[in-house]
Amino acid sequence: MSVSRRGVVVGVAAGVLGAPWVARAADPVRIGCVFPSTGPAAEAGKLQRQGADLALAMVNEKGVLGRPMELVVEDDQTTNPGAVLAFSRLTSQAEIPAFIGSIRSTQVHAMAPDVLKTGKPMMIGGTDPTLTHMGNRWLFRCRPNDSFSGKVIAQYGVEDLKKQKWAVVYSTDAFGTNGGKALESSLKERGITPVLMQGYTNQASDFSAVVLAVRSSGADILGTYFTFEGDLGIFARQLRQLGVRIPWVGSPSITNTTALNLAGAALYGTYGVADYTADATPASKAFGDKYQAAHKAVADGQSSWTFDAVNLLGRAINDAGSLEPEKIRSAILAIKGYNGAEGEYNFDENGDGLRGYNIIKNDGGKIVFDRRIDVKG
Amino acid sequence: MIEIVPQLLFTGLGIGAIYALVALGFVLLIRAASVVNFAQGEFSMLGAYAMVVLTAGLGVPYFLALPLAVVVMAGFGVVFAYTTYWPLRHRGQLPVIISTIGASIFLANIVLVLYGPSPAVLPGLFDDAGFEVGGVFMDGQFIAIIVAATALVLLQFLIFEKTLLGKKLQATSQDKEMASLLGIPVAIMILITFAYSAALGGLAGILVAPVLFVSVGMGALISLKAFAANIIGGFGNIPGAIIGGLALGVVETFGAAFISVPYKDAIAFALLLAFLLVRPQGLFGEKIAEKA
Repeated sequence: MSVSRRGVVVGVAAGVLGAPWVARAADPVRIGCVFPSTGPAAEAGKLQRQGADLALAMVNEKGVLGRPMELVVEDDQTTNPGAVLAFSRLTSQAEIPAFIGSIRSTQVHAMAPDVLKTGKPMMIGGTDPTLTHMGNRWLFRCRPNDSFSGKVIAQYGVEDLKKQKWAVVYSTDAFGTNGGKALESSLKERGITPVLMQGYTNQASDFSAVVLAVRSSGADILGTYFTFEGDLGIFARQLRQLGVRIPWVGSPSITNTTALNLAGAALYGTYGVADYTADATPASKAFGDKYQAAHKAVADGQSSWTFDAVNLLGRAINDAGSLEPEKIRSAILAIKGYNGAEGEYNFDENGDGLRGYNIIKNDGGKIVFDRRIDVKG
Repeated sequence: MIEIVPQLLFTGLGIGAIYALVALGFVLLIRAASVVNFAQGEFSMLGAYAMVVLTAGLGVPYFLALPLAVVVMAGFGVVFAYTTYWPLRHRGQLPVIISTIGASIFLANIVLVLYGPSPAVLPGLFDDAGFEVGGVFMDGQFIAIIVAATALVLLQFLIFEKTLLGKKLQATSQDKEMASLLGIPVAIMILITFAYSAALGGLAGILVAPVLFVSVGMGALISLKAFAANIIGGFGNIPGAIIGGLALGVVETFGAAFISVPYKDAIAFALLLAFLLVRPQGLFGEKIAEKA
């Protein structure tokens, strides 16, 4: 075999100076993660890390490109500046080929311009529909977006619960505002105009004005988009105290373990759309069992999406056969029919992997799976 | 809309009483030691966590754990004074203020490391959530907070105005050197003040916890409003802290209901700005020029 002088020069240049994705067999493949370790979402961040670590152990049974995978976690402090700072700390490590971003849409929005500039894939959990529809080709969502949750909440409330007079309560952050809009527009598609559209700011200490507005509106069903479980807990308690007993279908936070612990009986009888439910599919159950065995706790949507994100990245990198970002991107978009904890992933051209939600009911504190609704078209 | 006014009034007073209770702790240190303690919210957070540890962790009955937690907080107040205030006591107010800000960050992070980020639930004083009177739901915990705030303001008024200890504390605040020359043990007076302030803050946290849950961020959530209540009521004024807190609670609750829920905090701080512009000494405060 003859080796040209030019080939040697190119090889050395690539290895010493060149592209950071050129493999060094002994090094792990490092994946950058932006999770909250401090701030109001720190509890959720712990669960996200646990899900990611469970998947990491699975990925490392075979490795990626013959190398182990490693997670590099930076704290986003549950703030937008914190998320941007955390991401910049990760991007300064040039060998990182891909990232796992935030579950909070507002923080993904904050990081998005830098993700675009960096030009490497980021798996996200934020469910604001616009995130994958604003021309940023590097964002890939591991949860169904809120246009689907809005459609599913509307479908379940109108068709299954037979309710027409809707009050919609939503956080005024990016997640809540877009979720509220998605539900409103889904209802309007069905010829229903909500009797109340009520925003609130996060970290509120009192929801009496919101509850009284719901009560005065004459609504016969409540749809909500709450961001923080603490807010949800205070709202739920005041709702019951002030005598509002109408059916309530909430966004995924209503099914979170933390919310269930905080709100207790105030959430009994409520419905929620959950991207993760252990009983939904065999893959969901397998993840739930694994999580229960590792952490002696019930898995929820905080840990399931990061579990899928790490597995999907491991698969995409192996399929790509390279750490080159463009190739990983193509490999992610090519994933079809992958059964993850959150459901069956079929990435579309925008980077959305999932299109359906599970309907669950809080039956005396026990989460009961009702059915899965996948959005067509 | 008029039918919701009584409910809003009760809820506003309940929320306002929370601010007032925390504001009382501020007032005490301002009056006795001329210290604006930005870790006052963390005193509340620590009191609530102490209660969680005693009841849920060690299985101590609630009504035994409550005084125990308050005593623990009083002891913590002394430690806080020695570490945060004492080394800087001769360097003016600003270094002490900065020191308390640093302490508040330190305490929040220590609790985060020790107990994790997961919010905890602390049961209220009563098993029943509350009762209804004429269509108004009376939250039992809000009633407890209102009663406690009223009792504590009376106690604080009596201590400061009617006891020798209170007069010594006030003398220490106004002129430490003169107080010392008069034979008042200044150091002990300051330690007593910190101990009482921490106990008061802890009690506020325990009473507030069933409403807002026990979390690392609970102190920060209410201390800013309590600080605003102090300014509205008159800096360092005990009745002012109570009236300021109640006014803030009522204004923001009515503002949320009749103007805008998302702008609830903006309405509360607009009230603060209005006071700073029109009556900077607050409702019951003295003009600084007069004091000088």
